[in-house]
Amino acid sequence: MKLVQVAGWLGSGKTTLVIALGKGLSKNGKKVAIVVNEIGAIPVDGRVVQEYGLTVHDIDGGCICCQVSGNMFRTIKAIYEGPRPDIVIIEPTGLAVPGSIRETIRAGAHEMDISMGPTIVLIDIPRAEKLLGYEGLKRLVTAQMVDADIIALSKVDMATEGKLLEAREAVCVVNPRAEIIHLSTSRGEGVAALIQAVTERRVEA
Amino acid sequence: MSNPLKIIKTNPLHEDIKAYAVACRLSREEKVSSGELRGFAEELMNAISALCVQQGAKVLGHIKAYLVYETGFLHAHTLGEPGDVTVDGRDGDPANHFKLVINSVVYGLSEEAVKEATESALTNLISEFRFQRAP
Repeated sequence: MKLVQVAGWLGSGKTTLVIALGKGLSKNGKKVAIVVNEIGAIPVDGRVVQEYGLTVHDIDGGCICCQVSGNMFRTIKAIYEGPRPDIVIIEPTGLAVPGSIRETIRAGAHEMDISMGPTIVLIDIPRAEKLLGYEGLKRLVTAQMVDADIIALSKVDMATEGKLLEAREAVCVVNPRAEIIHLSTSRGEGVAALIQAVTERRVEA
Repeated sequence: MSNPLKIIKTNPLHEDIKAYAVACRLSREEKVSSGELRGFAEELMNAISALCVQQGAKVLGHIKAYLVYETGFLHAHTLGEPGDVTVDGRDGDPANHFKLVINSVVYGLSEEAVKEATESALTNLISEFRFQRAP
């Protein structure tokens, strides 16, 4: 069973990408489960993902990178001991720092035969400048980028070439080892590359 | 009784980001068409985001909602940018009863202010659309 994270600030397109990945991987014959964690007390995204015929496990009560990391581990273990799909896609809250989630999984991974797939972090290109204009948000978005194996520059259909170039340069400074992918889920751009990465790539556990 | 030994650690990077969520049941004697329901969802997103901005929100994390009824399911969201409200989902037959869930996450407002913006917008639109609200 392989675990993959799709992280990134609120509204960056995580849920839309998770649905596209879930559908694409299922079409390729993979058994997929999706773990959705939301910051609000009553989940919305999990219900939306379910509408697309995908298997969803909601985690509420806080953020899995800090407040309810134990709940996340118990959920992963239950999936492993139960349906044990080929791939589990974890969609944390938009506030989550993916490195903390990876650490929680690593700490308990020896109990299970699981591998780590790539951590994909989405950057909302049309809103990037606005978000990075606030020091508090800049620290959070930067911390998310640092932990990424793949950075998906999202909503590229709504960005100019100049903005994209600026974003690529900024991302390379923060995380030079991450692969950068241009993503427009509405147009299908970048989705196939991410399905391939999720299927084939393993990162050190 | 809460466990005094249980410590819930919150990432300090999450400071200043506040959320409010509400679930309720809506009903109306006269059936509501899917088109009207889409209009309600869109107006709700616009109204909550406008009130958040009016109260001093720096950035809207997201305002999102879903409406589920016997034969339909609609979901809506906005990031508070002009014209960015989307309403998607399955249109069902006209219905009298709906379940609504709203989730608002905002940077730069108190939790109370996010709740106030969400509840005020909802109350106004319930009145405008002549819905009855139950928990």
